[in-house]
Formats: sequence, C-alpha cells, structure tokens
Amino acid sequence: MTATVDDSLFASLDPVALKGSSCTACGATVFPALGSCPVCTGVDVEQVALPTEGTVWSWTTQNFEPKSPFRSDGFAPFSIGYVDLGPVIVEGWLVGRAEWSIGEPVRLVLTKAWTEGDTVVHTYAFEAAS
Amino acid sequence: MTDPVYIVGAARTTFGRFDGEDNDLAEEAVRGALADAGLTWNDIDFAVGGTNGETKPDNLVARLGLTGLPFVTVKNGCATGGVALMTARNGLLAEGAGIACVVGYDNHARGAFNASPARYGIGDWYGQTGMMVTTSYFALKIQRYLHEHGIDPRALGYAAEKAFEYASHHPYAWRRKPVSVDEAMDADMINDPLTRFMFCSPDAGAVSLILARGSRAFDLCEKPVRLASVALRGRRPGSFEVFSTWLSPGERTSPSIDAAAAAFADAGISPAEVQVAQLQDTESGAEIIHLAETGLVEHGAQMQGYLDGDYKVDGRLPVNTDGGLLANGEPVGASGLRQVHEVVRQLQGRADGQQVPGQPSIGFTHVYGAPGISACTVLTTEGE
Repeated sequence: MTATVDDSLFASLDPVALKGSSCTACGATVFPALGSCPVCTGVDVEQVALPTEGTVWSWTTQNFEPKSPFRSDGFAPFSIGYVDLGPVIVEGWLVGRAEWSIGEPVRLVLTKAWTEGDTVVHTYAFEAAS
Repeated sequence: MTDPVYIVGAARTTFGRFDGEDNDLAEEAVRGALADAGLTWNDIDFAVGGTNGETKPDNLVARLGLTGLPFVTVKNGCATGGVALMTARNGLLAEGAGIACVVGYDNHARGAFNASPARYGIGDWYGQTGMMVTTSYFALKIQRYLHEHGIDPRALGYAAEKAFEYASHHPYAWRRKPVSVDEAMDADMINDPLTRFMFCSPDAGAVSLILARGSRAFDLCEKPVRLASVALRGRRPGSFEVFSTWLSPGERTSPSIDAAAAAFADAGISPAEVQVAQLQDTESGAEIIHLAETGLVEHGAQMQGYLDGDYKVDGRLPVNTDGGLLANGEPVGASGLRQVHEVVRQLQGRADGQQVPGQPSIGFTHVYGAPGISACTVLTTEGE
C-alpha cells in the first residue's frame, strides 16, 4: 500500500507533478494551490500542474531531528531546498546527496517519508537531474 | 503639530533561564522603568503589554494597581516589542494621555520554537516532513543571500564573535563568554551554513519603557530620548519569510526594507546619520542581511565592515552593542524593547555595557519576525 503525505499537493502521481494555482489576472503561481491570489489580491485562480524540472535556488541541511509533528522511520540528517521551477520557487526535500550547489538542475520525484503499518507514505522531493 | 513623544524611563531584567512566573519578570521591568522615570503606577495614563506566551499582560494591573487605565495587549510574534512601542506612541497621541508604560516579556521553554502548521494556515504535511523549522529557514535565506552578493561565509563567524564580545561586558546579557571567529565557524553545524554559535535561543526576560509627551518629558528625565519615528510594515510579494512553501521569482522585497525606509523618512534622518544601531540578529545571517536591508550598509559590503571593526564599540557604526539576540536570547515579547532600551541608554551616555564614545545622538532599532513583519524606530537626543 502506498499513500502521500497530502494528496492535495499533487496534480498527478504517475508521472509525479505538483499542483499549484495560477492567478488568471496577474499570472502569479503559488504552491500548494490557494483559492485566491496573494500577489495581486485577485480571487479568480485556476489549478495548474507545476513544471517538474528546475534549479536549486537555495539549500541547507537539517542536522537535528525536528520536533513534533515531524514523522520518520528513524531520523537521519537530510537536505532541504528551494527549487526554481520557473513560474514559482518551491520548497522541498533534496534527496540523493548531502551537498548541493545553487543553480544546479534537479527534477521532481516521489520518495518515502515514513511507514504507517503496511502503508508507505510518500512525499515529493527533488533529485539531481544529471 | 502634535507634541513629540519621548522615552523618559527604561529598565530590563537579566535575560536567560528563569524559574519564576512570567508576571514576576514583567513586574520587575515595569517597577524598574517607573523608578527610572521617578514615577509610580498611579501616574500612568495608558499601558501596552506584549507577550507571545499564555499570560495576559493586561492582568498585570492585579499586581501593579487597579487604577482603571486602558491597557492594550499586543501579540505580533518576534516584532511584538516594536508593535507594542508603536501602540503606546499612538495611544499617547490619540488618547490625549500624558504618560504611557509599555512592557514586553516572555519565558520560553528550551530549544527551537515548535510552530504548529495549522496556526500558520499550512497543512500538517509541512511539519510532518520536517520543513516547519525556523532554523532551516534562516539557513536557506542566508545561503541564498551570501551567494547573490558574493559574501564570504566567514562573515557569519565575525557576527557571532562581535555579539559575544559585546555581551562579555554587559551585565544583563545571557551568554557572556567570548567566542572567536574560528570557534564559531568550527562549531557543530545546525543547518548549513549556520553553526551552534550563530543562533539565538528562546529564553526569558522583560523590558519596560515609560513614554511622555512634550515638555513633560523634560520635567521627568534629565536626558529624554525622542522617539523620532516608529514604523511597522508587513510583507509584499517577493519577500522570503519563514514557513514559505513557495516564493515569488523575480525582485526580492522585504518588510525590513519598507519599515526602515518609512522610519527614516518619517524622522527626517538618513541611515548615514545613525551612530548606534540595534538590528534583528535571530542568527548571524540575519544581522548581515539587515545591515543592508535597513540601508545602513551596502549589500555585499558587510564583510569589509566586520574586518574593519566598523560594528564594534569604537567603530564607525556600533551594532547590537548589548550582544543582540545572539547573546541575549529571544524572549519574543521583550526582544524588540530590549533593542530600544539599549539605544536609549547609549544615547543618554549610561550604557549598561560598553558605552559608544563621542556622545552619540542618533540611534536606530529594527525588529523583524514571523510571518513577515518589521518594526523600526529612529531615536534621538537632538531637537526637532
């Protein structure tokens, strides 16, 4: 069995794509999808699938275990970044290594977050594209 | 033309761990500020109290006296102190009151703040996946900033070294043991590029100020400090705030830039005239960013300032002369008022720690916090 940390984050799971919203007035894109536009105050927005490839905009390592409600099958330090997808910069895990460089290309993947009985709960993450 | 507003009394507690009640801290600060101004609680016409904790500041009247005065409570995260001061100033001007008391305090549990996703309108997934962490936000922000402006990461170590050097001379600071640049750089990495010595910790403390209008201020205080301006601003698109699942591409903005610009404009004073400043240094990177966002230093020039000793007590622009948040910790409700307290004492020539030489007459304070708000003040002993 598989599940996601929150199904509303995803436009599709196979292939994986994040779901944001885009303002029909100003074009601003946000993630996760909202019912209004915080950039221009508009209220007419449409849900969109976000690009799945981008570049590392910033990154850091999470070297201590976050407090509740953090969940894991056993904490190990991990990387977090902001990824520039073009219309929007999205925060997420960076997986596959410990050191990153601003500007390097990455792509969206699904990765295991924790297990809950027989169910593997997945979240989105970015891995090196090369 | 409204009367100018002056600070005529100021007091703070020692910051650090505290086992008593929150109200004990608040009462100590208020009684200290009243004594500093030569007043009693009976003389106060209007009061403002700020805390991020569970106690009700307006119930301090149960200890201080049931005089019937209006008492406003403020809860604005890390900017609580600045907002409380602005509210007190506005109260003085709008209510026709003569004397106001403002108090800020908190007594936090150990460790990083544990924020609830729901309180910020974010889904549980954000906390469950370990991204609802204030320290990683600061790291992500300074990592990007150092990259954009080509700043040597050792600037982070210099900011820490400076903070603890100031604090080693300050009787009310919490962490007073000097730390070298190398020690700061080589300490345990918390969130790359920030190490253990580069973060402040939540702790306990209280600060109180007494404000008075017009000529009354000079009856109460030998050297009153004029609140030349206080400005509060929120975030606009393009700012990079804590707990942001997304950011706008393109031009970067900041509530600190907007609040500082408004405060300087309202005071009719330029950043170049500032002789002593207090900046929000939740971690080393925040001081580096805020030096530039407030207009005090050019983006990218911060490292040279550290190397030249500009921000030390005998430098061109002494910054965070009480050790800042790094050495005082962050009792959220008190922190912004601590900054004002320090600048007031510096301008009055009676600093608790190292006194800036040359009788500085213009000071600046900047507080910044979640979810993207900043409050700045310009303080001066010069006339209008």
